[in-house]
Amino acid sequence: MRPIGFSTGALAKGDFATGLLLQRVFVQIDAVELSALRDGELAGLVDAIPDLDLSRFAYVSFHAPSRLQTLDEETVFELLLRLPESWPIVVHPEILRTPALWRELGRRLCLENMDNRKTSGRTLDELRQLFDAFPEATFCLDVGHARQIDPTMVSAILMLREFGERLRQLHVSDVGPRGDHLPLGATARSAFSRIAAYIADDCPLIIESIVAAEQIEREIETVSSVFASEQ
Amino acid sequence: MPTAIELLETRLGTDWSAIRRARAQTESLVGDLSSALVDLHDAAFSVVVTGSLGRGEATEGSDADWVLLVDGPSDPAHALLVREIGTRISNLVAKDVGPTGTFGDIVDSHQLVHYIAGTRDSNENLTRRILLLSESRALTNPLVRERVIRNVLARYVVYDRSVQSRSGRRQVIPHFLLNDVVRYWRTMASDYASKMWERRRQGWGIRNVKLRFSRKLLFIWGLLASFAGELFAPPELRQLEKDDEFYLRLAELIRELTDVTPLDLLARVVLETEDNDIADAIFTSYDQFLAVLADNEARMKLEAVRFEESLDDATYASLRDASQRFREGVTRLFFDAHPALKSLVRDFGVF
Repeated sequence: MRPIGFSTGALAKGDFATGLLLQRVFVQIDAVELSALRDGELAGLVDAIPDLDLSRFAYVSFHAPSRLQTLDEETVFELLLRLPESWPIVVHPEILRTPALWRELGRRLCLENMDNRKTSGRTLDELRQLFDAFPEATFCLDVGHARQIDPTMVSAILMLREFGERLRQLHVSDVGPRGDHLPLGATARSAFSRIAAYIADDCPLIIESIVAAEQIEREIETVSSVFASEQ
Repeated sequence: MPTAIELLETRLGTDWSAIRRARAQTESLVGDLSSALVDLHDAAFSVVVTGSLGRGEATEGSDADWVLLVDGPSDPAHALLVREIGTRISNLVAKDVGPTGTFGDIVDSHQLVHYIAGTRDSNENLTRRILLLSESRALTNPLVRERVIRNVLARYVVYDRSVQSRSGRRQVIPHFLLNDVVRYWRTMASDYASKMWERRRQGWGIRNVKLRFSRKLLFIWGLLASFAGELFAPPELRQLEKDDEFYLRLAELIRELTDVTPLDLLARVVLETEDNDIADAIFTSYDQFLAVLADNEARMKLEAVRFEESLDDATYASLRDASQRFREGVTRLFFDAHPALKSLVRDFGVF
């Protein structure tokens, strides 16, 4: 079984504590991504980490702010540097304005492929350029973003073929036309099942579907079913 | 890196200046049009051009055949955008898109993807779909154009598969795509006759010449793209274990060819033959065709020539002769010179 869990921001926007609490009742959840999508949330979350009980999670990652609005790049970087070294730091390429700075993170830096609202990191070629700039970085494959760019999923397959050794985790959700993260619909499930066999059995699944508390279990089952490991 | 056409030019020691000028004119105009539309970027649509701009063969007298390709939720604002786009394009390209309504309008990807053959695949829909594959280019958000093309090719290649052969060998030639390519070529030829009948041969000369050259070139592109699994596949494609991945990657191989102009794709195949006579027959004659289209006076003569006077009209007669050399070159390429094309056409192209 692949480690599975939610990004805290999907369950409780801007409220990591609730995002964690909502997941604790589900025994099948053993992965979590702590999310500070808005840079204003970053300092508070980083400060809180020493006091968080994360012992039940076999896998923990961290989602850096998706944009720099209230904090400058260096401040964000310094805050992220304080995170436990074993945690992948999932990053949207557009905040990487000073590559030399972010290269210091080495394998901790985990690059996510982007959706069609962005201008980089969307396609195989664009990811190649990013990994050329950050040769030690790992990879977060966002299957919803990949499907939005290429609904046949062949691009995702090619990304896995080329960057599979860097793969650190998946982001899983359906993605609406305006970039909104949705529960997996029928066509998304069909598309994602096409690539399940290319994902390592131990690759964590981080669900980004925005769901209410009562829908959590169902979404876990759906995602688990789509990405069931080959035994 | 030199293009296939440039490599052929060097090999033959010749100068296809009209082809080169048309390529440069295209890049210049596409650049201007893209700049004029840059603030209209949207995640759900792409402004796509076809015709001479899509083929890389624009001349001074070219028009801009364009559509608003929508791949997402419908929005009444799209109709307003079409008007705005039309205004901006016509400020740069004065010539009208023509009376058929095939261009200058909203095209919804749903019809291109779901209405392939069958009763709901209109002539207009077929035209738009094949042109999208064979001679299109995005002025805005190229990822939308790419996405729609992938979905169309998925229909043709991934979802339409033959009964598996007894030997287990995979079907490398997508019959569905090939049949539609052939159907479109025959439709263009029949439509030419139909338009001449309806319009009492008005504009006969230039339509006839375009059928002999650029329309035929689209058919050639379609054949080569359909045969891509045999002509251009990397060795690792055949070694793929999973059928699903094989057909997805085959579709992607063809998708990559939708970013290659028909003339460039033809040049790639001609390069493989090392036959300079064929190269000369094909590209010198095509260069002559583009040279005439780029010459306003000659173009106007072509538009005005009457059917009854065709053989006495020097402009038309010389292009007709050139088209016969073009056809002869292509025929020799397909049936004599290229190591694979003859058997591919024999095995898949007729019955």
